[in-house]
Amino acid sequence: MSSCQEPEGREAFASLSHASKFYGGYAALKDVSLDLHRGEIHMLLGENGAGKSTLVSLLVGTNRLDEGQRFLRGKPCPDLTPLEARASGVNAVLQDFSLAPSLTVAENYALGRETTRGGILAKGAMRGQAQAAIARLGLDLDPDARVDTLTRAEQQLLEIVRALGGRPGALILDEPTATLSHEETERLFEAIVALKRADWAILYISHRMEEIRRLGDVVTILRDGRRTGCHRLSEIDNEQMIAEMVGRTMATFYPEIVRQSGATALEVVGLTAGDKLRNATIEVCFGEIVGVGGLVGCGKAELARAIFGLEPLSQGTIRLAGEEITIPTPKAMLERGLVYLPQDRRGEALALNRSIEENLTLEVLGQAEAGSHGLVRAKFLDQLVQSLIVRLKISPAEPRQAVQELSGGNQQKVVLGRALSRPRSVYVFDEPTAGIDVGARLDFYNQLQALCHDGAAILLVTSDLQELVHLSHRVYVMHEGTSVVELQREEISEDAVVAYAFGEQLKKIVA
Amino acid sequence: MTTLRSQAGFKPTRGAHAAGKMFRFGALPIILLICIILFQFGNPRFLSLANTTNMVQQGVFLMLIAFGQMLVLIAGGFDLSVGSVVALTSVVSAKAMVAISLAFPEAPYLATAAGFATMLFVGFLAGLINGLGVAVLKVNAFIVTLATTSVYKGLTLVISDGLEVSDLPHDFVYGIGSGFMSGVPISVLFALPALAMIYVLVHRMKFGRYVYAIGSNIKSAVVAGVDTNRYLILCYVICATITAFSGWLLTARVSSGEPLLGGEFPLDSIAAAVIGGCSLRGGEGTVFGVFMGVVFVTVLGNGMDLLRIGSNYQMIVLGVVLVGAVLLDRYRAAGARH
Repeated sequence: MSSCQEPEGREAFASLSHASKFYGGYAALKDVSLDLHRGEIHMLLGENGAGKSTLVSLLVGTNRLDEGQRFLRGKPCPDLTPLEARASGVNAVLQDFSLAPSLTVAENYALGRETTRGGILAKGAMRGQAQAAIARLGLDLDPDARVDTLTRAEQQLLEIVRALGGRPGALILDEPTATLSHEETERLFEAIVALKRADWAILYISHRMEEIRRLGDVVTILRDGRRTGCHRLSEIDNEQMIAEMVGRTMATFYPEIVRQSGATALEVVGLTAGDKLRNATIEVCFGEIVGVGGLVGCGKAELARAIFGLEPLSQGTIRLAGEEITIPTPKAMLERGLVYLPQDRRGEALALNRSIEENLTLEVLGQAEAGSHGLVRAKFLDQLVQSLIVRLKISPAEPRQAVQELSGGNQQKVVLGRALSRPRSVYVFDEPTAGIDVGARLDFYNQLQALCHDGAAILLVTSDLQELVHLSHRVYVMHEGTSVVELQREEISEDAVVAYAFGEQLKKIVA
Repeated sequence: MTTLRSQAGFKPTRGAHAAGKMFRFGALPIILLICIILFQFGNPRFLSLANTTNMVQQGVFLMLIAFGQMLVLIAGGFDLSVGSVVALTSVVSAKAMVAISLAFPEAPYLATAAGFATMLFVGFLAGLINGLGVAVLKVNAFIVTLATTSVYKGLTLVISDGLEVSDLPHDFVYGIGSGFMSGVPISVLFALPALAMIYVLVHRMKFGRYVYAIGSNIKSAVVAGVDTNRYLILCYVICATITAFSGWLLTARVSSGEPLLGGEFPLDSIAAAVIGGCSLRGGEGTVFGVFMGVVFVTVLGNGMDLLRIGSNYQMIVLGVVLVGAVLLDRYRAAGARH
């Protein structure tokens, strides 16, 4: 497989040759080769669990190499430590952030490479360096802000700024745009392209096709820990990439979901809550999917949370099937058939060290059929869990497995399974497909189709433009806490959503 | 397709999981066995009927409190006030029993019953205060129960003037305190239903499921519609009540209301629960594990007594064992993450 090799065959900055990594008898990575060349953006594509993170861990030295060879700057490195990797210019932004929350932006930037004068920290100098690095990326980050006061997107940006402050060489980015707004993504892309021109080697992990197309020179595709393809992007189409990633061809990515006409299920008028949601008005009918789009921080997440009673309301009304809910609480909303699936699966939706079974059944325990006198009817719960595992293809199909050991996609299935554990009429999804792979995404869309077909009302809050545009029957776009426009099916397009998302001002410029 | 891949991917994890479980339940019984063999070697009286009975009689008080502590630990908190709840119960219920037996000398059981009722009341109230502090005021459990430790201790000294309360009803002291029924200490017979109740609560009832969910991730429990405040408060109430019960039984055993009773229980109960597999991060722990933890701590104490190791040295040993258990817990958590 040499289709991705550089024609002149010059030496790679970093490379793995026939690398394998085993956990017990299981090969997380098997016989995978990869060459990172200077001045090239190398995309790494694969489903969750395909071995992408393992591959990265071998490059940054956090995992031992069991078979094969590893080269940095042409030298073999059989025993690489993270420190050595960084010293030779391998800079990585991984998904688990490595920031110290109680330190400031500037302190985090300098962490591990502090400037000192006679053993005393040169605070001013370090602050200046941080500020310069932030400015180089055209970002708006206060160097004196504590990291725990930043949003997740800002923390992500700081990670990137910090990685760029290391020794020039290679930059590894693991799904860096998952939490970024459109604008921030653009800035990041500009920075990446600039690095490429400055002769850095870049490894970029993503499962967003448009990013891969836009940035990549070369793509390596992994499946089940093996390399299924390595191509120059000019020589491969999306269809083939997906086929190599999932091992099958995908006829149509987004299913056609037929809208059922139903009565009004959820009506929200003039909702104001916290400092991010101002006067939002939306309506969802039974049997339709209503999308909510907008930039990060536009209040769309807060809208979903406020409806479910997770944000204290200061104004506005919520009506559920005609009944006005004055003080929404999760318990009250669940009892009335509205279920909310939080964006932050690990932080808000799952009891991570508990089992699949316990997580799936948490919301049915109060039901009469789940047991009387406070006792749990194990048989009923077992059957329910089995049926959910089969229906959602949760893997491993092992009710006692702790959910922290599942992949992101399967964790999401458990969250969805809990929502499906009782009959509901209204579903509020907040970024339901963030961080899950293509296969799990398709499974989710199929569930969405089934729910809609059965007449459920669905509110889909998402930052994924394509998802929003292709799945929604109607779309509300939010800007600075307010729902600024309602787009009917025929009006929905990526351009329209983006224009409204940036607010009136930008819309005028565009028009 | 996804199914096949992930299943293959999880086989080793499942193996590691099983190994972790075996370690959790497997290591403790083995260490316990080694201790028993060593102690028996050091002093042949160790496994005699008299000493075994003695261990059971001594261990039952810690068993009750550790079961309560377990509940709070599973819910993601902990209760430092168990020691002062024991002392408060001892003094208050003793005062009540003395008063009732003076007023109704011809009805001996009435005094004991009054003591029992007083104990329940003290435990309920102490736990309610702890629970409200943690759940409603949202103050860290460490601070809340540290503060109430001081409050309950002060109350105990105020009520008792620092003096022990003697002249307890004869039936209470010689029946519940040191009586036997078919060779089994009566205090143990009293304790068994309470221990069984905790087992059912944790492993057979909705309550347990909710408490594990709260301890594992309280935000997710809220999103799942669990009334988290209610269950958190209940955990502290049950913990303090079963602790008060233990304090009442202990009062019978020492035959007087003691204002300085139970000072070792905060450390011992947390140590036993953590050694038995409870995590200080919450959401973990089982009745069987904590049972084993208490047996271990009790055997360790008694064995060292028989080997004439002074109580000062015993404190050092227990502290070291506790740190060892916490390290083990962290190791397990790290193993579960990878």
